Amino acid sequence: MRFSGLIVGLFFGFTAAQGQVGKIPNADTLYGSANEIVVTATRTEKKLGNVAVPVTLISSKQIAQAGSVRLADILQEQAGLFITTGFGAGVQMQGLNPDYTLILLNGEPLVGRTAGILDLNRITVGNIKQIEIVKGPSSSLYGSEAMAGVINIITTTPIKNELALSARYGSFNTSDVNATFNFSKNKFTYQGFANNYHTNGFSLRPNSQTSFVTPINRFTQQHQLGYQISDKTKLLGSVRFNRERITNEIAVENNGVIVNSQGKESNDDANFSATLMHKFSNSVKTSAKLYATTFASEQELATTSGAPYTDYFKQHFLRFETQTDVVVSKNLETSIGAGYLIDRANSTRYDKRESTKENSVGYAFFQSEWKPLEKLVVIGGARYDHNALFAAAFSPKLALKYSITNKINVKASVGRGFKAPDFRQLYLNFTNTAAGGYSVFGAIEAQKIITALKGLGQIASIEQDYYSLAALQPEFSTGYHASFDYTPSQKHNVSVSLFYNNINNLIDSRLVAYRPGGAQIFSYLNVKTAFTKGVELNTNHKIGKYYLMSSGYQFLLSGDASELDKIEEGKVFTRDENGYSRRLYASEYVGLPNRSKHQFNLKLQYQKEQVFATLRALYRSSWYVTDTDGNGLYNTNDSKALGFVQFNATIGLPLTKNITMQAGCNNIFNYRDAINMPNFMGRTGFISINYSIKQSIEK
Amino acid sequence: MKKIIYTFFAFLLFAACTKENNTTKVEPVVSKTVKDLPADTIIGITPGVPPLGGMPFGAGKYTFYSLERGVIVPSTDSATNKWDIAFRGTAIITNSGNGGPGAGGGFVFVGLFEDLKTIHSDSTFRTENIPTSYAIPFGSNRGWYVYDGLKNLVTPIPGRVLVIRTATGKFAKVEILNYYKGGVTPAATASDNVKMREQRYYTFRYSYQPNGSKSF
Repeated sequence: MRFSGLIVGLFFGFTAAQGQVGKIPNADTLYGSANEIVVTATRTEKKLGNVAVPVTLISSKQIAQAGSVRLADILQEQAGLFITTGFGAGVQMQGLNPDYTLILLNGEPLVGRTAGILDLNRITVGNIKQIEIVKGPSSSLYGSEAMAGVINIITTTPIKNELALSARYGSFNTSDVNATFNFSKNKFTYQGFANNYHTNGFSLRPNSQTSFVTPINRFTQQHQLGYQISDKTKLLGSVRFNRERITNEIAVENNGVIVNSQGKESNDDANFSATLMHKFSNSVKTSAKLYATTFASEQELATTSGAPYTDYFKQHFLRFETQTDVVVSKNLETSIGAGYLIDRANSTRYDKRESTKENSVGYAFFQSEWKPLEKLVVIGGARYDHNALFAAAFSPKLALKYSITNKINVKASVGRGFKAPDFRQLYLNFTNTAAGGYSVFGAIEAQKIITALKGLGQIASIEQDYYSLAALQPEFSTGYHASFDYTPSQKHNVSVSLFYNNINNLIDSRLVAYRPGGAQIFSYLNVKTAFTKGVELNTNHKIGKYYLMSSGYQFLLSGDASELDKIEEGKVFTRDENGYSRRLYASEYVGLPNRSKHQFNLKLQYQKEQVFATLRALYRSSWYVTDTDGNGLYNTNDSKALGFVQFNATIGLPLTKNITMQAGCNNIFNYRDAINMPNFMGRTGFISINYSIKQSIEK
Repeated sequence: MKKIIYTFFAFLLFAACTKENNTTKVEPVVSKTVKDLPADTIIGITPGVPPLGGMPFGAGKYTFYSLERGVIVPSTDSATNKWDIAFRGTAIITNSGNGGPGAGGGFVFVGLFEDLKTIHSDSTFRTENIPTSYAIPFGSNRGWYVYDGLKNLVTPIPGRVLVIRTATGKFAKVEILNYYKGGVTPAATASDNVKMREQRYYTFRYSYQPNGSKSF
């Protein structure tokens, strides 16, 4: 009867948070304390306190108490991460675009990027055990895309027989429902998880037909099976399906004529993985993994006039990988691995839907962790990626950790990262049919298409950059990192890190030709360099028995050294208040657009047993959005979005032994910026209910 | 209503006053600002959809301007020496080559309007060979402006001075300040309708040296 009561509650629009609300933490220690186990930094299980490279750990408790439902919700509350919008929610890390952060689910890459962005709203946090964030180049272990860093989402594994249900309801008719079922018997473990998310969407612009956050329905299911074949051998299998359905009314203005249309979009992900793990001895273990994933996206736009517009994209990714970890001696551990992957895509964005684009990569990597002294850990590693489509990449990394005392640690690392050109940069064949009518052609296609258009008399002129079109090279970065960590007691922690990333061979779009009407044609070239550098500061203080105060700050500078040189030479100009040209001062240069110099967050938390409350303040300083003065770079005369503070709060309390409830309000003071952040919601609220019944596993 | 700003260059006065042996007396050159000069403003949209159709168009006529007299010259006088430069959309032509019967020409100087005190003696004035080549190079990021196809906006590049030889062989320098009505570029987020309606109105400043010298 309790069940039916709950289900009735669900139908009436109550909800529940994630299954971890009721989890009681170690009362006197900080989050992400040194004893937590992490895997992403070294590809082996290590205590967080022993890892030489910088790792941030977000626990399921933090996620639950922040009231997050999608991955973007929790990442936007972390120091040094910005959520970007446009083509979904992407994450900017250490000032690098979302294209350069690899997103892993249980160590396997997620695919299906649009314009380089993997939409983080595709991922529910309902079954996440922890999120591990490694900042700085990590290609030495993970290959392409791990240039700014890696975000690894680790899902829960069954530790108890458990049924957990949660449901949540909030503003804009947003609902999020989770069900988790964990079961273990003898040598089998099973976890089933399902999540359904719905929102009506919203628009900040009054009377707007178009919702900037589109009405959406997402359904995710994941099944994980484990079988302990013997004491030494284990088999794990996982399948995950994620489906998104979006419908939206869209008003498109084309040269003053408003065309109303109905948009339909579907995005489907599927992930399959099978892992066999075997311990040959206490010092040698090996694993073999087979991973396949597909992402299919289809958009259809039916207009009141003309033919419907269809956009189709499908990517298949198949990978086999093996890794062996050897404990050579008490002071030396080595991992060695190799793999082969095939990446395929079909899309209407390329020449035609039927023609499959394919790349294959064979790779090998090794990493050693050496403790020459009791207080010193040295990690050295490298990876070689052989690409079928473009130049090979070699990615070394070296990291050190030295414990000055058991309360003070210093770390330093240097590594190389790369990102291989993606199918879009190679094969895109896109023409915007709205005003302007510009086209973008991938580097492999551009010369072919422009030559063909020229034959038809559809090219008016060729720009200089056309003659520079060549086979694209991977983009490379070299990242440096140094940090200082002081933990005077289990209740206090302060860490400061410095980072510097130097990026070469950046791929950027360039104007290569004009059509007769003046429409522009762009393609991709390895033309830019960039740097990002900054400081990150994190503090955690446990105050008394029940309070925790934590803060995070990032100071970020970015830019392009060649742009700075031009300014120093007096070759860059801007305009004064009369509109007359004047020289630009180096001090007016702001570097790369869409980056805030300062970001700060302050979080207060109260927790006493199952009762908790949080208050989080998130600040970001202004960021530049448009080169309004036309000098080709960003400076203080260009237009910017204003900095702002957002306040979020949640409370949670138990109702019965098995039921807890939570309520929250995000963006309490209702900050909005319809121009620069059309999909940043105003104030929203939610309430959720969580039911969980657990039983210890019979052994 | 054209707003006219008179500016006297202090350095010229200073030079004129201090150089006692100066035999060729330099006239102070006046800088003048012209606002909202229409340049083939939009009258319609071509049929079809971009990139081949759906493009805004004007009547296809140049607006002729005399830098010497500071007035718009009627198009009936296009085949005369009465005009020095002409505007049509983003194209700016001089009264030279196949553009007109005059002895004009021009080139783009990279630097500040004030810094161009004397046209360098070995500067080459280009003449019109439309549509193959223009004295003032035509196209985004080639001459005086940059066009952002994504935002659909034309912005004059700061630090670009159009050095003009007039129809009668005198010299002038021109700085384009804005391409939109009222001298204000629409916001990047403005509708295409606004961007279309307000474009092709030039705001520019210029200095004309009537004495035939290359100094301003």
